Amino acid sequence: MAYLDVVRARKEFAGFTALQDVSLNVERGEFFTLLGPSGCGKTTLLRALAGFNDLTSGEIRLDGEDLRRIPPHKRDIGMVFQDYAVFPHLSVFDNVAFGLKPRKVAPAEIRARVGEALEKVRLGHLAERLPAAMSGGQQQRIGIARAIVIRPRLLLMDEPLSNLDAKLRVELREEIRALQKQIDIAAIYVTHDQEEALAISDRICVMNAGRIEQIGTPQEIYGDPQTRFVAEFVGTLNRLEPSPALESDLSHLGLKAPRATLWAVRPERLRLLPPQEAEEASEKEAVVLGRVEQFTYLGREAHVRLATDLGPLVAQIADPGLIAAFAPGEAARAAIPRDALMAFDAAGARVKLEG
Amino acid sequence: MRWNFWTLVAAFTWGLLLLLLFLPVGSVLLGGFYDAQGDATFANYQRLLTEPRFQRAFLNTLVVGFGGMFGALLLGSIMAFCLSRFEIRGSRFVSLMAILALVSPPFIGAYSWIVLFGANGLVRRGLRDVGVSIPPIYGLAGILMVFAFKFYPYVYLMVSGALGNVNRSLEEAAESLGLTPWQRVRKISFPLVFPALSAGGLLALIHAIADFGTPQLLGRGYNVLATEAYTLYSAEVGSNMSMATAISVALILLSMIFVLLQRYLSRRNVYHGNLINKPVKIRLSGWRNALAHAAVYLIGFCGALPVIISAIYSFRKTRGPVFQPGFGLQSYERILYNLGDVVRNSLVFSVSAVALIVAAGTLIGVLVARRTNLNTSLLDGAFMIPYVMPGIVIGIAYVSVFNGPPLALTGTALIIVLSIFIRRLPYAVRTTSTALRQISPSLEEAAISLGYSPFRSFLKVTVPLILPGVIAGAMLSFVTAINELSSSLVLYVGRTITMPVRIYQLILDGDFGTAAALSSLLLVISGIAVYAAFRFMGRDERSLL
Repeated sequence: MAYLDVVRARKEFAGFTALQDVSLNVERGEFFTLLGPSGCGKTTLLRALAGFNDLTSGEIRLDGEDLRRIPPHKRDIGMVFQDYAVFPHLSVFDNVAFGLKPRKVAPAEIRARVGEALEKVRLGHLAERLPAAMSGGQQQRIGIARAIVIRPRLLLMDEPLSNLDAKLRVELREEIRALQKQIDIAAIYVTHDQEEALAISDRICVMNAGRIEQIGTPQEIYGDPQTRFVAEFVGTLNRLEPSPALESDLSHLGLKAPRATLWAVRPERLRLLPPQEAEEASEKEAVVLGRVEQFTYLGREAHVRLATDLGPLVAQIADPGLIAAFAPGEAARAAIPRDALMAFDAAGARVKLEG
Repeated sequence: MRWNFWTLVAAFTWGLLLLLLFLPVGSVLLGGFYDAQGDATFANYQRLLTEPRFQRAFLNTLVVGFGGMFGALLLGSIMAFCLSRFEIRGSRFVSLMAILALVSPPFIGAYSWIVLFGANGLVRRGLRDVGVSIPPIYGLAGILMVFAFKFYPYVYLMVSGALGNVNRSLEEAAESLGLTPWQRVRKISFPLVFPALSAGGLLALIHAIADFGTPQLLGRGYNVLATEAYTLYSAEVGSNMSMATAISVALILLSMIFVLLQRYLSRRNVYHGNLINKPVKIRLSGWRNALAHAAVYLIGFCGALPVIISAIYSFRKTRGPVFQPGFGLQSYERILYNLGDVVRNSLVFSVSAVALIVAAGTLIGVLVARRTNLNTSLLDGAFMIPYVMPGIVIGIAYVSVFNGPPLALTGTALIIVLSIFIRRLPYAVRTTSTALRQISPSLEEAAISLGYSPFRSFLKVTVPLILPGVIAGAMLSFVTAINELSSSLVLYVGRTITMPVRIYQLILDGDFGTAAALSSLLLVISGIAVYAAFRFMGRDERSLL
């Protein structure tokens, strides 16, 4: 049995089912992320763990104990909120000390533990201030300190960074990751931002419409998506149009997948070939011919949209430097490596390739 | 449904409404269908519709209502436009004068205008000495003038709030699209402030219809429904209670129409814009500047005039009820020696009513904001009823219901406290529920996750956050409570007389000096309460509406 077990969790609201028999488990010290679009059930699951909404049916076990029988204020679970939920009428210190009072911690120890928690989130110097005038990043740091100072059995975070600006988001997510490893606590993190999920997690659970699509490490989720939904939600996908050209490319590569209804390839796996070189494609690559439709320069990368026999394809160029530039209308060639191709069946499940 | 604390609160609330609102109002509605002998009849309503006296009163009510509204709209819009768009020196002082006009007792205005423009008024006499003769202020013209200066703050506060929220980019966009300044006002600014304008105007209308003191003192035969109801009720000989209730019903229906209209308009046509580009105030120069300043100060001064007059007259030397040349403190001495119990009554009644209002209003406000179901939305609707009840109607209703066993409350202090309580309770409920809706539920959830039970989370987190609003609301309720005239006028007996009632009597008796002193005292008490309210929630004049 794992540290946290969720077994066939089901939550029905009037008229729709938010969670459809979701089962998962989280180990001690693991950073586990629930990733999905809004309405996928990730927040519903998190709130069921916190106890704010009970499940319709199913089991939640934490360290062998049935959580559903414990009222939320006795669960010993720290929670970090999207809107920070910092108490505006209390100083930073009192905010963090708030959870220690019902735990009957001695005043001297409260001071020590609050001070330590504030140092961990780098707010030690602001302890006496009121949070109202502080920035979003600082308020969320208070929220994190307040949640970890009670030494909870589980740390829940509900989109804690989504109200912050992009740069701060990256900075704070690294701090959260480091902090979680340092205090060695099981953390469950909810986000709709795939990049954030990949950066921060030990394992990711991708959810859609109340169901789990895939659970795996960031590498597995991105590199080996098991469903079309995962492949499209995490990263982007070029869909290859069914056509004689596709058939001939597949037979050139010797690939077969009888149940496949969709073939796809990620933009960064497409390799643009210099147009003038008559380089012969190897057996490990299929070459598609096309024209440049649009060139988007993004600094550390660039996107080239091509019109090809396989439909519109976007190729991503890493580190385009100063010279890379493609004029619309220009002829272009792209190579699709054999191992970059993914196939999905009509239900959206990944199909294993033959050949 | 689970039976818990909040179910009890809901049951308690419905009981409260049943006893203090539905029962009295229902009896008024039914009372109009009985004659003096207790037989069922339509005669009262027939008289109401056919007798010229009542037809005239009905018509007069509409005339003073709409007349007061247009006066208030005119003065209020000028004030709002000038103060929010132009740089006016001492603008804070001007809006302080508007607050004074708002919190002064309803009939002090009438009285002060009589002092200036009455048959023997100061200004009239002065003008007569230089050969100019103007008619005395009595009658319709006087009522309308007093209403305009009394009720313009409603429009001013509503509209200046709206004008302050018009994104300047909108006007700049219109300008860049080639609209002239006048077109800009007509096509952009006016539609944007129209909801506030109509809401403020209807507020003035509702208050003008319900006002009893002004037509009673200034009307001199120009009777409105409120004064007719009081006359019928209070006649020493031939008091006609059932006719009074029939008029009350007409008054309720009339104000209900306008309250519903006001609610409808304030919900429709509300534009939510971003406020990235706040409006700036223009510095005018030359005659435009002089004109804007003159308009603003004239309106502000005339609105505050009643307060200024009564403050001055309270310090005039008197012998008996007669003014003597020079200044003295005799009027205040008389309060100290003869009217101590009146002041004490007012304070005790108001404080008790406010205590009840805060306790019940907070609980019910939480119920309405946090436990939303059909039951509570019905409750929210039921709380509209006290809004549409003119004070005189509540008074008559209470007298007719609580007159004998099992609830013989007539003549007690409790009946006055309860009548104030039920009229002001909706404001407290609304203040609390609005404040609660602005507090994110995740604050309480955070406290729960940190180990506080739901009830302790509410106490530790939510209560401290809504407390300033609740205290401020209590202060404003106190101002309304202590200035209440029309319902107490029906409900008082010798022992339970309050300051506004006593002032009204003193004015009728011709003892203007004592009336002025008592009014000034009332105003000082109100002023302290308003100041305290602003201290607790920041200066927000619109909370006075």
